[in-house]
Amino acid sequence: MADGVISVEKIKAFWHSQVHDPDKWDLNKKLLRAVGLFAGSIVLMRQYEQPTKRKAHKGGAPPMASPSRSVFPFIFMLFLVGCSARSLYPLPSRRHNGNRQPLQTFRPYNIAHRGSNGEIPEETTAAYKKAIEEGTDFIETDILASKDGVLISFHDVILDDTTDIDEHPEFIDRKRTYEVQGLNRTGYFTVDFTLKELKSLRVKQRYPFRDQQYNGKFSIITFEEFISIALDANRVVGIYPEMKNPVFINQRVKWSGGKKFEDKFVETLKKYGYRGSYMSEQWLKRPAFIQSFAPTSLIHVSNQTDLPKILLIDDTTTPTQDTNQSYWEITSDKYLDFIKEYIVGIGPWKDTLVTASNNYLRKPTDLVARAHAHNLQVHPYTFRNENQFIHFNFSQDPYREFDYWLNEIGVDGLFTDFTGSLHQFQEWTSPLSTGERDANRLLDKIVFMISKFKLKKLV
Amino acid sequence: MIRLQNAGKGKEYVGTSNAFIIAQTVIYLAMYLTGIVPFIFLLLVAWCSARPLYPLPSRRNDRNKRPLQTFRPFNIAHRGSNGEIPEESAAAYMKAIEEGADFIETDILATKDGSLICFHDVNLDDTTDIVHHKEFANRKRTYEVQAVNITGYFTVDFTLEELKSLRLKQRYPFRDQQYNGMFSIITFEEFISIALDAPRVVGIYPEIKNPVFINQRVKWSGGKKYEDKFVETLKKYGYKGSYMSKEWLKQPAFIQSFAPTSLIYISNLTNLPKLFLIDDVNIPTQDTNQSYWEITSDNYLDFIKEYVVGIGPWKDNMVPVSGNYIETPSDFVARAHVQNLQVHPYTFRNENEFLHFNFSEDPYNEYDYWINKVGVDGLFTDFTGSLHQFQEWTSPFLSREEDAHKLLDKIALLISKFKHA
Repeated sequence: MADGVISVEKIKAFWHSQVHDPDKWDLNKKLLRAVGLFAGSIVLMRQYEQPTKRKAHKGGAPPMASPSRSVFPFIFMLFLVGCSARSLYPLPSRRHNGNRQPLQTFRPYNIAHRGSNGEIPEETTAAYKKAIEEGTDFIETDILASKDGVLISFHDVILDDTTDIDEHPEFIDRKRTYEVQGLNRTGYFTVDFTLKELKSLRVKQRYPFRDQQYNGKFSIITFEEFISIALDANRVVGIYPEMKNPVFINQRVKWSGGKKFEDKFVETLKKYGYRGSYMSEQWLKRPAFIQSFAPTSLIHVSNQTDLPKILLIDDTTTPTQDTNQSYWEITSDKYLDFIKEYIVGIGPWKDTLVTASNNYLRKPTDLVARAHAHNLQVHPYTFRNENQFIHFNFSQDPYREFDYWLNEIGVDGLFTDFTGSLHQFQEWTSPLSTGERDANRLLDKIVFMISKFKLKKLV
Repeated sequence: MIRLQNAGKGKEYVGTSNAFIIAQTVIYLAMYLTGIVPFIFLLLVAWCSARPLYPLPSRRNDRNKRPLQTFRPFNIAHRGSNGEIPEESAAAYMKAIEEGADFIETDILATKDGSLICFHDVNLDDTTDIVHHKEFANRKRTYEVQAVNITGYFTVDFTLEELKSLRLKQRYPFRDQQYNGMFSIITFEEFISIALDAPRVVGIYPEIKNPVFINQRVKWSGGKKYEDKFVETLKKYGYKGSYMSKEWLKQPAFIQSFAPTSLIYISNLTNLPKLFLIDDVNIPTQDTNQSYWEITSDNYLDFIKEYVVGIGPWKDNMVPVSGNYIETPSDFVARAHVQNLQVHPYTFRNENEFLHFNFSEDPYNEYDYWINKVGVDGLFTDFTGSLHQFQEWTSPFLSREEDAHKLLDKIALLISKFKHA
């Protein structure tokens, strides 16, 4: 019966939910292991009991091989392993009881660009934790690779500007000059250091006008460590990793099995259960956007994962590193029409969306409108509180800048160095209105409103 | 008023303008010389040209101006919106009013011919284009001001007309320079007009600035001093009344000064509220030469509270700073409040070089700290718009509902959102 209670679809769905859901699979693995141990112990115990049984039934059952003496140490070891191995319960900090505050999706996304790097050195654990504390929706990172193929969270291809590399005499001979995106760069490149060596360095604050007190305290983290920070949060926090400089990385670092940087990138995401298309149930449990300046990388990974992807767009003078296409080409309607099959949105530099002159913003270009017409989101970068980054229209007030971009231009997400300020702005102007939960307080509010009521004079 | 001898009926005169007095004299002469007919003709001419004294439509005070807010700390636009427009210009003050300031603040100095002007520095070099005016090249001087020798072009060496020929410029290079050369210096009276012309009640906050220096350099007739002329101007425009009185709320004003004797002196002339400004720890008062520690002691606060309603200290003296981080607040605010004195610290600015690291380069976090943690009663800010926005978002003016339907709608919305805990 096609319309029966048990249908193939339902079985498939049930199988899918039991095997592919990370939480249920954990539980299932635990059950299987328990069953396995139980069955195994039964078998061994029966083996052990054979000699006495044989004696009881004279000439009845066919003779069985007597258990060798070696089964005793085996059973002993089994007990040892069984008692010391940790059974597969999830860490208490990660118990998903389903009551975590979900990702907000009713107002533009607050994306903590490199963590709260306005206050703490960029792309460190502390910067990301601070961002989560300050209310961010997504923590953003740039993924590069070490010499031994480990994926790390780091923005620049060189270590000079944000680490204490020049205070490490043991690495002094590693300075190189490489060509990156058509430019010769000289410095200490991440691809020339193993993970262990990178971990011996300490991160520092990039901008001199920002707080320097945390310099030398934190080290570089790996992609996996970055993911853990998001998973450990006490509410749902999304990740926003970038496949950074893939052309350069693939030139310098080789992985076994012919795998490329993009493959390892997606592998890591899958390992931690990141999957699902934009706004799907799985995606909302573990939200993620994959971003890159290189369109071919995004197209390549679109075969491996249906996580939403964002095409980043550089300045008007910089062509794409892989396809050598100009800004004008990749922002044309034709190209947007093509690329929209692979991405859900674009991430342009904000000063190309609205032209500026004499530090005043003038007219907006039509890029946002055209992107929206192609059903593409727009997440411009990067918003900073310091007055040197704020155009004069905004009276040196970062909140006015947020107001302009969110309410007048109408973007769908913002990369910001100061996720706390953006969160505060959003909470004040478009709060997560949950309504009053306490009946007494609600009645108080109503009484207050009535007491202030003054009937308008009828003229 | 001269009553006409040959007039049959009493005539009412509408004003005593100069023009009218001249007309009267001419009429007398004409009458004397030519007889009555030309006289009547001249009378008619005079009448038709003299303007009767009706108030300007923009200043009719039967208008329902929105009153001054008094339920949250005062938003004081320090020198107008000088974050955006050159300080102490008409445009800066009008912008401040537009942005929601409660009070517009100014510094009053004097010209050579005794006019009171709105200007902060004793010298013109930093905020005007004086160096481009070759006709004044020989006016450069060196004077001692508060025990420091200053060289430059001093306001007290220029008449009002000469000052009006100069143009203002933005003091800080990192602020918007596009208005440089557009605005001129304004007088105290023009400043007051800006406040009175506003569509809602906006208070004024003028400072008796450098009174010792001014009184040395400028003399007024009748033995009057700078402080006398200052109060005279306020009275002329109807500023009177003690703090929170009915008259004060119609035209709110605070008088501020670094010089305690000036404040004590004028307390005999007006009961407008006064605020005592306190400079940095190493600068003594210009008139009484008292140290910072003396004027912030309990003893002194006890004494000065008879004359002032509050204190205006430099904010970094109230909460000490180290490594660009603020530390534990000093007890100053608490001691002032115990003596029933308000505290209005200066000056809050949005630029990150003025923001301590605790605030994540976010001026709103700084406002939050000072208003909610330290608990001050007013703030002098260069960015009155940002402060206003902060206050509106966190402690908005809860206007009372006057329409029964709208009130019921609001209550229905609250109930529909109710979710039992």
